[in-house]
Amino acid sequence: MAEVVLQGVSKAYAGRPTVHAVDLTIADKEFMVLVGPSGCGKSTTLRMVAGLEDITAGRLLIDGADVTHAAPQKRDIAMVFQSYALYPHMTAFRNMAFGLLKTTDLGKAEVDRRIREAAEILHIGHLLERKPNQLSGGERQRVAIGRALVRQPKVFLFDEPLSNLDAKLRTRMRGELKRLHKELGLTVIYVTHDQIEAMTLGTRVAILSEGRLQQVGAPMELYMHPANTFVATFIGTPEMSLLRCAVRPEGNGSLLQHERFLTALPARPDAAEVFLGVRPEEILISQSAEGITRGIVERTELIGSEALAEILIGRDRVVARMPISEAPESGEEVSLTFDFGRARLFDATNGRALTSI
Amino acid sequence: MVFGATLRARIREAGLAYLLLLPSLLFLAAFTYWPILRSLWFSFHDVVLGDSKIIWLGLENYQRLWGDRLFWRSLGNTVFYTVLTIPLAIACALLMAVALDSKLRGMAIYRSAFFYPVMIPSVAAGMVWVFLYSAGYGPINQGLRFIGLPDTAWLYDSTWALPAIMVMSVWKYSGYFMLILLAALKLVPSDLYEAARLDGVSAWDRLIHITLPLISPTLYFVVIIGLLHSYQIFDYVYVMTHGGPADATNVLTFYIYQNGFQYQDIGYASTLANVLLLFVGGLIAVIATVFGRRVHYLGR
Amino acid sequence: MTSLQIQTIPSPAAPPMAEPARSALTALRRGWLHLLLVPLALLWLSPLLWILVTSLKARTEVFDPAAGFWPLALQWSNYPAALSVAPFGTYLVNSVMVTGGILIAQLVTITLAAYTFARLTFPGKNLLFTLFLLQIMFPIYATFLTNFVTVREFGILNSLPAMIVPFVASGYGTFMLRQAFRQVPTELADAARLDGCGHFGILWHVYLPLVKPTLIAFGIITVVTHWNDYMWPLLVTNSEGVRTLPIGLGLLAKSDSGADWTRLMAATVVVVSPLLLLFVIFQRRFVDSFMHAGLK
Repeated sequence: MAEVVLQGVSKAYAGRPTVHAVDLTIADKEFMVLVGPSGCGKSTTLRMVAGLEDITAGRLLIDGADVTHAAPQKRDIAMVFQSYALYPHMTAFRNMAFGLLKTTDLGKAEVDRRIREAAEILHIGHLLERKPNQLSGGERQRVAIGRALVRQPKVFLFDEPLSNLDAKLRTRMRGELKRLHKELGLTVIYVTHDQIEAMTLGTRVAILSEGRLQQVGAPMELYMHPANTFVATFIGTPEMSLLRCAVRPEGNGSLLQHERFLTALPARPDAAEVFLGVRPEEILISQSAEGITRGIVERTELIGSEALAEILIGRDRVVARMPISEAPESGEEVSLTFDFGRARLFDATNGRALTSI
Repeated sequence: MVFGATLRARIREAGLAYLLLLPSLLFLAAFTYWPILRSLWFSFHDVVLGDSKIIWLGLENYQRLWGDRLFWRSLGNTVFYTVLTIPLAIACALLMAVALDSKLRGMAIYRSAFFYPVMIPSVAAGMVWVFLYSAGYGPINQGLRFIGLPDTAWLYDSTWALPAIMVMSVWKYSGYFMLILLAALKLVPSDLYEAARLDGVSAWDRLIHITLPLISPTLYFVVIIGLLHSYQIFDYVYVMTHGGPADATNVLTFYIYQNGFQYQDIGYASTLANVLLLFVGGLIAVIATVFGRRVHYLGR
Repeated sequence: MTSLQIQTIPSPAAPPMAEPARSALTALRRGWLHLLLVPLALLWLSPLLWILVTSLKARTEVFDPAAGFWPLALQWSNYPAALSVAPFGTYLVNSVMVTGGILIAQLVTITLAAYTFARLTFPGKNLLFTLFLLQIMFPIYATFLTNFVTVREFGILNSLPAMIVPFVASGYGTFMLRQAFRQVPTELADAARLDGCGHFGILWHVYLPLVKPTLIAFGIITVVTHWNDYMWPLLVTNSEGVRTLPIGLGLLAKSDSGADWTRLMAATVVVVSPLLLLFVIFQRRFVDSFMHAGLK
């Protein structure tokens, strides 16, 4: 029963805008991930939701109530910080109890019950009497999550909570967070710079760049239908290759003319210059000459089950993915074709996705 | 309206800030800044302690100062004391600190032995040294006699009285400076010394070319602290010599006290106080330009 | 450690065989250090030794050049004799009240000011902070004259508050504590805000517990400084009822003027021993406090 609505939320520091009019609705029980490169405004946006930063302009509603200028503790939210922000001088138990005792008038028994319950869910029951410096990184992380859980807030805010963990632990905690979200039906806003985290955790993902919301949608939707070149290249590794082409009308359709190839399109995109965006798995290569163009293999990388090849087509460089058995030698000239059923076009002047291909 | 809310929050924060600073500012103003301004004002007037009548004198106090031989004597004594005691105490402290900067047995004992004078009240220290310096039965003179040197009535000898106080000051403060330098020495990365040793650099060169440059910010800091502690010479002069013999140990702070409290001449004493402030301020400025350009400290 | 070095760093000057010779060299160097340090330490300790020994001598022994260093018989009676010439009990109570008063007042003012400078934004912040720092350069020795006039006008001369008020604000303490507060991660303060703390809650529950070492260091320095204060209490007191220990000791010295060193040294032992005892018991704490006070 918690819906968070951001209406034109903006932030300016000393007159310099850093977040531009973000409109975003987080539905009840949704796991919303805010993702973007560092400095894109995602943390600032989260801190505005938390009430740790003033909202320069716009409105913030939680459950229909306007909390734009409410104090943090009045917003019924809880937050897990990047550094965990556990109080070093308090035990794990006291860390979890502190906010509860401050913000609610729950009895000691109820506080104790909630903490035991959260501790059980997080498997930290045996650590409650320890202080943060006696806990490992992963354990601290769990205590920090526990501190948020016991508050039973309407919304959980996470600020890059996994970035201080090693790779293995990160994967495990990712699964754990997913489980918690599902089992407890939490409403979550989660900030990360890691697109894999975003894609695996979010029910929906909001991508920010330079303080502007670029696109909001389910992970696969962002992957398959990026709204612009920024989203297209930000999501997916290796990133999508962009090939600059000129568009020439031809009958009902059009011709797409690249420096090195010419291909017909059934539709007529509304731009004179476009980028053809192809993901590594949408490039098909062969040694024979049946493709629409040819390219020189610059470099091949074997990454376990498959191979990546960097191929130069004229001045453009594309990355293709293929089974190891089909990996070309570097220096080799190969023939390529694109999966036009999935490839997409962007307006070269402003980077926006064009509806038809 | 929304913008107004942020502005209001900012005004509220500033208001809170001033409120929290208020207690400190009140007392700073009353007992640090107001006295300085006031002594400037007093110096242009004839002010007598306990007399509410204040007469404008213009620069008369300053003219009197110019011709006052006792003032020049006390200023000279202050300069002599300051510029010799501080380097001496720091040299002593550096020697102690370098000697103790190793895993030495009995380290804690040495450290306490050098440091304890800091915790003795200046009046007690002064008194004990009066005893140590006293003619005839004083332990120092007894020691000198033992090695066949003549007796000196240290504190009653106008040549030796001020140096005697300086020796006592070195005893009292080098322990403090030693501790601060020791803390700085511990922060010098040991691989630097190891690297220098592999390069065949001698111990003396290591001290001059590695240790000293690396602890120079601390040295700068210690010089400033030493300067501020040198004010305390008033206590020693008051207890040990009362400015004598024949004003050989009369220093500015003591001369201010004499004029203000014994002759009740607040106006002239204020004039002297301004000179003292100018002297200390000037010295700090000189140290800051000579030393501090490379080694910034406060405010960061 | 040394042996490890020699094994891993090939150096012609120190082949593995040279190890015993080398440690002998180190021992010799250490020995030299002791040879330097022992006399120096004795020199430094000798005034204290003389205080103790003299306080237990008979009066005549002090002036007799033929008498030895040690007293013939320990004259413990010097102590009661010293304590009976002046109301040392009253002095002690006054010293505790003045030092305690200054300490408490300073802890309050510097906590508030340091938090403000560390965490709040407001116009004039840098200017005000500079004003605070400037106080370090103008100790009471530089401003005692006009301060005396001020205190006199307030009508609080010859009272305990007169000895406290000039020291209520501390630029140095504010600076020290501000540095410590700035080391506290801002995320902790954020977490405390979400946990329902206002500025004072954050200060009390998060900041102060975390800077306890700095508070203790500052406390020790303040106590040592003001317990020993001489000039200012000397100027503003003129009756037995308000004098502190150092002033009492000074008066005793003046009235005796070298006539009775044994009694005077006994009184000195009484005056210096509280701090020296604390120092011996909490040596580490004291040393750390003075060591790091200036370096943060």
